[in-house]
Amino acid sequence: MEKLQLFFQTSPVDPTAAGHALWLIIALPLLGALISGVFGKIIGRQNTHLVAVGAVGGSFLMSLLVFWAINDFRSSAGSPFGPISYAVGADFGTWFSAGSFKVTFGLTADHLSGSMLLVITGVGFLIHLYSTGYMSHDAGYWRFFAYLNLFIAAMLTLVLADSLPLLFVGWEGVGLCSYLLIGFWYDDAQKAFAGRKAFITNRIGDFGFLVAAFLTVLVVESITQLPVASLNRAGADGAMVASRYAQGVSARGALSMPVLEETARILPNLLTQEIATGPLKGLAYGTALTIILLLFLLGAAGKSAQIPLYVWLPDAMAGPTPVSALIHAATMVTSGIYLFCRLSYLVVLSPTAMAVIALIGASTALVAALIAFTQTGIKKVLAYSTVSQLGFMFLGIGVGAFWAAFLHVVTHAFFKACLFLGAGSVMHGNADEEDITRLGGVRKEMPVTWATFLIATLAITGIVPLSGFFSKDAILHAAHVNGIAGFEWAGHLAYWLGVVTAAGTSFYMMRLYFLTFEGERAKDAKTPHAHESSPVMTGPLVVLAVLSVVALVHGLPIMHVQRGGTTVTQALMENFLDPVFRTTNDLVAQKQFLVLPKEEHGLLGAYVQAWLIAVVAGALAFFVYRRYLPAVKKLPAALEPLRKFSFNKFYVDEVYTALIVRPLTFVARAAYRLVDAVLIDGVMVRGTAWVTKQTGAVLRYLQTGDAQMYAAVMAVALAGGLVWALMRVMP
Amino acid sequence: MLQTVPTAHYLILAAVLFCLGMLGVLLRRNALVVFMCIELMLNAANLTFLAFARERGDSVGHLSAFFIIAVAAAEAAVGLAIVIAVFRSRGTVNIEEIQSMKH
Repeated sequence: MEKLQLFFQTSPVDPTAAGHALWLIIALPLLGALISGVFGKIIGRQNTHLVAVGAVGGSFLMSLLVFWAINDFRSSAGSPFGPISYAVGADFGTWFSAGSFKVTFGLTADHLSGSMLLVITGVGFLIHLYSTGYMSHDAGYWRFFAYLNLFIAAMLTLVLADSLPLLFVGWEGVGLCSYLLIGFWYDDAQKAFAGRKAFITNRIGDFGFLVAAFLTVLVVESITQLPVASLNRAGADGAMVASRYAQGVSARGALSMPVLEETARILPNLLTQEIATGPLKGLAYGTALTIILLLFLLGAAGKSAQIPLYVWLPDAMAGPTPVSALIHAATMVTSGIYLFCRLSYLVVLSPTAMAVIALIGASTALVAALIAFTQTGIKKVLAYSTVSQLGFMFLGIGVGAFWAAFLHVVTHAFFKACLFLGAGSVMHGNADEEDITRLGGVRKEMPVTWATFLIATLAITGIVPLSGFFSKDAILHAAHVNGIAGFEWAGHLAYWLGVVTAAGTSFYMMRLYFLTFEGERAKDAKTPHAHESSPVMTGPLVVLAVLSVVALVHGLPIMHVQRGGTTVTQALMENFLDPVFRTTNDLVAQKQFLVLPKEEHGLLGAYVQAWLIAVVAGALAFFVYRRYLPAVKKLPAALEPLRKFSFNKFYVDEVYTALIVRPLTFVARAAYRLVDAVLIDGVMVRGTAWVTKQTGAVLRYLQTGDAQMYAAVMAVALAGGLVWALMRVMP
Repeated sequence: MLQTVPTAHYLILAAVLFCLGMLGVLLRRNALVVFMCIELMLNAANLTFLAFARERGDSVGHLSAFFIIAVAAAEAAVGLAIVIAVFRSRGTVNIEEIQSMKH
């Protein structure tokens, strides 16, 4: 054990050098995107595959080295507030500055972003590999791989960024790439529409993100102008804090992560104090913080598909299946969770925001699960299950279980990518059949796909030895025992919603599995016999299935840590992310906004309970779809309206269309008719032309062709000018 | 004692020459004469420059006069070429008959 630890803590790469080389991880896929996009058609299909897969593979290898360097005991990233241990990073200079505001090109990898690096490049690599098989007949392969690489580069920028503006670059980048990839087959109007819907919905969220960032700048600026006495805190002198803070802000900018972390350390004593300067004057710091967090939540809801902005994700299945796996399972949708894990130190200072996040997450999880019950498209079910699982992650963040939420990000990335790629494999082998009621019995014909899909399904439902169980259970456990100060009811409500959703997850996932793989082949199936996909497609499936199982070690409570005299047992992931959440944990202990349980709860009981829920719901699905429905052939009439309601996604899209899209379209059309067609085109553009033409028509009669006449007019005008000048000069 | 001519006299002479030239430009019909009248106006301007140069006792006025002479030479070359070209194409240099550039 000692030797193993020493091995992991001695990196072959110097941590400082690794920090300075971080940009290479982003640059490699970016270069790949450039080569595939510009020269892809010239260099041919095989070479494009080589470039695209190679770029992400190289990025993965570098990420491994960086990850090793992060764990090195020598590793530390520089920051204005002292070095950060277990992190590597570098500041590459000023990006832009205006007045006292400044943004730098700073990249940092710590345990949180390091794990994300591995997930993004690792799962991304497998998906690239799979795509070389899946897209083997598509003429637009060069475009596809260029977008995929660009997407990876944007996502890597998002996780490595050391400041919110740089993070926003990646944030927008993944938004753009998702638009390009969802609408990849843009000659199909419906698919192009899905791409547009994703983009516009994301833009609404991005607006919230931007406003939140602006407000953060105002808060930071106002803190720099506070009298030093108000910055006194335990173990730090106010004058010292103020000077270091001002130094930090001027060196790295108000929106850099170290400054935000220091802001969180300063804020606890200011929460009830009113902001004295700037546009936010009169608002309490605590209120401002809550507003900022809720706006960030809007941004995260757009990217991570939460209520009210989740509608784009199910439609995003219009893209090629590897895209669904990449964007909507492993990377893009996790960016909202990542953002809140990054800003966890701010989150724990606002109970209101925590309660809202927990409730939004829990209700999204439940709503999406209910919709997933009746969907017939294999990818649609998976899409809603993604929304549902993301809801779980937000629930975890809301109740302060950041490590559990992040663990669920990692495990979900593995099993959901496996499920999506498995679904793609099923469709590939069944003449692109998507409807699960017209599949069935695929198990014998596609053994590898079947086995991996089953493992991933069991993982997501939370059957005991698989990774999904540990992450989901950790979230639910935290929701059960942690209390949000003043909002205990929200925590309890979120917990019960979560339990119901967990049962629902098991039900709809088993339904999907039974209808697709078990039973007899449907009579109206497109092909009589399915065929197993090529090894290049099944290979990634096997790897991902293995990872879905192996990732369970992160959730095992095997680390024993000394905390204030007592030995505390932590899960591996919790222990691993401890350096990232150190400030957060300090703030929780200091402010008590998050009430942690005094004593250890017996985990075994919770484990058994969660396991029972999953098994019972799964058994119910087995009974309904393998025994009851095949026998009666038809759903009871009483349930039919419910089924229809769920199948039509609770008519949310229709409501949005009626409440938001239609009025907006109406306003846009009115503006087009009035402002554009009448005012600009009619009055301004054509009006100018008309006036010029008419004036010319009148004045052209002055042009007689008589040169002497012109000269005479000129002479008279000059003489007139002369007389006027003389009159001005003469007294 | 040498009697010097006052500057005002030069200026009056220049003004008279300028006005004669301008009247010629505006009233005469023969393009060649109009052309000569333009030269007259240029030289009236020259005379004014030189009168002031003499008054001030510096050489800036002379400089301007040389420029005007150079410009006048170039203008004469171009202008005469145009007059000849017009005469060849139309058989006349009467500017009242050359009014085709109109609305």
